Amino acid sequence: MSATVMIVDDAVFMRNILRAIIKDKGYTVVAEAASGIEAMRILHDQDPDIVILDIILPDVNGLDLLESIVTVRPQAKVVICSSISQEPIIKKALDHGAKAFIQKPFTPEKVLAALESLEA
Amino acid sequence: MDMSPYRDLFVSESRNHLATFNELIVQLEDNAFDRAAIDEMFRHAHSLKGMAATMQFDAVTALAHRMEDLLGRVRSEEIVFCRALADLLLEGSDLLSGMVSVIENGEEPLADATSLIERMVSFTPDPLKSKRTPEPATADAGPETMVADSPQSRHQFRQSDSFKSVRVKTETLDRLVNITGELITTRHRLMDRARRYDAPALDEPLHQLSALLRELRDEVFKSRMLPFAFVAERFPRLVRDLARKQGKEVSLQIEGKEIELDRGILGEITEPLVHLLRNAVDHGLECPDARIAAGKPPGGLVKITVARDKDHVDITVADDGRGMDPTRLAQKAVEKSILTPAQAYNISRQAALMLVCVPGFSTSAEVSDVSGRGVGMDVVRTAVHVLGGTLAIESETGRGSRFILRLPISVSIIHALLVECGKLTLAFPVNTVSRTIELRRSDIFEEAGRKVFALEGRHIPLKSLNRLLDQPLPQGAGPIVPTIVSETGGAMAGLITDRLLRQEEIFVKPLGIPLNRMKNLTGGTITGDGRIVFVVDASTLV
Repeated sequence: MSATVMIVDDAVFMRNILRAIIKDKGYTVVAEAASGIEAMRILHDQDPDIVILDIILPDVNGLDLLESIVTVRPQAKVVICSSISQEPIIKKALDHGAKAFIQKPFTPEKVLAALESLEA
Repeated sequence: MDMSPYRDLFVSESRNHLATFNELIVQLEDNAFDRAAIDEMFRHAHSLKGMAATMQFDAVTALAHRMEDLLGRVRSEEIVFCRALADLLLEGSDLLSGMVSVIENGEEPLADATSLIERMVSFTPDPLKSKRTPEPATADAGPETMVADSPQSRHQFRQSDSFKSVRVKTETLDRLVNITGELITTRHRLMDRARRYDAPALDEPLHQLSALLRELRDEVFKSRMLPFAFVAERFPRLVRDLARKQGKEVSLQIEGKEIELDRGILGEITEPLVHLLRNAVDHGLECPDARIAAGKPPGGLVKITVARDKDHVDITVADDGRGMDPTRLAQKAVEKSILTPAQAYNISRQAALMLVCVPGFSTSAEVSDVSGRGVGMDVVRTAVHVLGGTLAIESETGRGSRFILRLPISVSIIHALLVECGKLTLAFPVNTVSRTIELRRSDIFEEAGRKVFALEGRHIPLKSLNRLLDQPLPQGAGPIVPTIVSETGGAMAGLITDRLLRQEEIFVKPLGIPLNRMKNLTGGTITGDGRIVFVVDASTLV
């Protein structure tokens, strides 16, 4: 069975591209959220294997959201999406339970490499 | 990964970001210490940068990056949000908007932002003015020293410019048409009541209401008009690519790009036009060798002509290719059991050419000079009919073909001829009615087993509208036979009905399931006395 994925990004554009990239590789996108609050509401009912999380969101601090996700869905593997300029945040995120990160701007290769690294 | 499918999404999302970004700048000019607004602006610049980087629009990425940087400096309280900074950000935002438009049109290159980026990098606020001055940022704000082309004056221009036009969602435009249409229906009801209750005092205000409604309708339609160029922009590239794939030389000419049509119609007509262009290049035009052998220049010509005539627009797609042979088309129709041999023998030239629009007449698997033009032609004809337009085909063997799409200028609100047919009241869009005529029984005679009448020296076939629509025939038919003469797609026929009622402006609404499956009907409307009227697609009856 293919791994299920939830995408959290406030830009519909980014969500669409991420979905297009991973769909071809056998992942199933089961949910998308445009904000932290929406993400938590969805996680109340859904149990995705992987959460791709943009660290900059309109309503909540991405790191706080990461902690909440790790608390409610400890088995979900969280992949942080961020530009390299946020390096300190990336470090913190990895310390707080994120399993991998995708550097923005991403290419399909970077996204897939990050997801594959989860299986290792 | 091919990113081009995401271009439209990039454009619309970028516009959203920039619109909010601009609002926030203005908001911050009122309260320079609105921390939440700064954060939000930062986020918009950041998102835009990320999107542009993914799409590899480097110029957009670089500029958005600098704007994000500037806002980062405000966030870290290194600098205070001031008017000069607002100007710089607005300038950046305007330049980004321009780039997005260029991207939308598929053009290149993007504007050079180097000098603006340099100014952003070296930006230091004037310490004396870094606190926002209380005066509003208008030209009469005081004797500030500034040169004519300072950011301040550009800002002024930008403001006044933005007051002249506003961006309106297309749904709003669609709703305006609906509301106007409903108002027209309501006016019909009012007039009906006024007549019934004999209330002459209402005449004057009703008359005025009608005049105002006409004006409203015209303005609403005007606001929805877009030049044909809006959809034609991508055609040259399309034709070029198709030609290259086929090893053909093709030049595309477009005339009448500036002519305006309703955006709804433009939207519906784009795909059919792509079909026609594709057919012209793939099947209509010959290869260079064949053209030279036929005494033609090696390069083929495809020409789109848009011309407006009163209440309709003609879009013609013409090529100077091999043309189509009506006789062979008719033969093929017999092979495919679409026509009987007798029908094929009697078929008119125009009707034979229209055979290419019959679904299944040809498939892409058998592209040839005879049948190849049929690919997608039923789609083209259907799209044109749904819009209340007509399709005509002209062709000359060896000389080329012309496909003429006659379209109404606007949708939904149309002039129609109302007729009574059995239990139904029907509306014929006036552009499908050539004329109405009251025939005497003695005017009708038989020819080759068909009922016909003579009109200006031609014998026109007669059909019963009641029979075509399964309606009861009138009891005790009188000596006068009311007839609608309709000409579509090169075929002409007289449609006998029970009674011709009147001409009226109607608001056409789409039919729901299952009525929308009736191929003869394109919509419905409600008359002043509350009756439902069906709008008839005359081309399916003639």
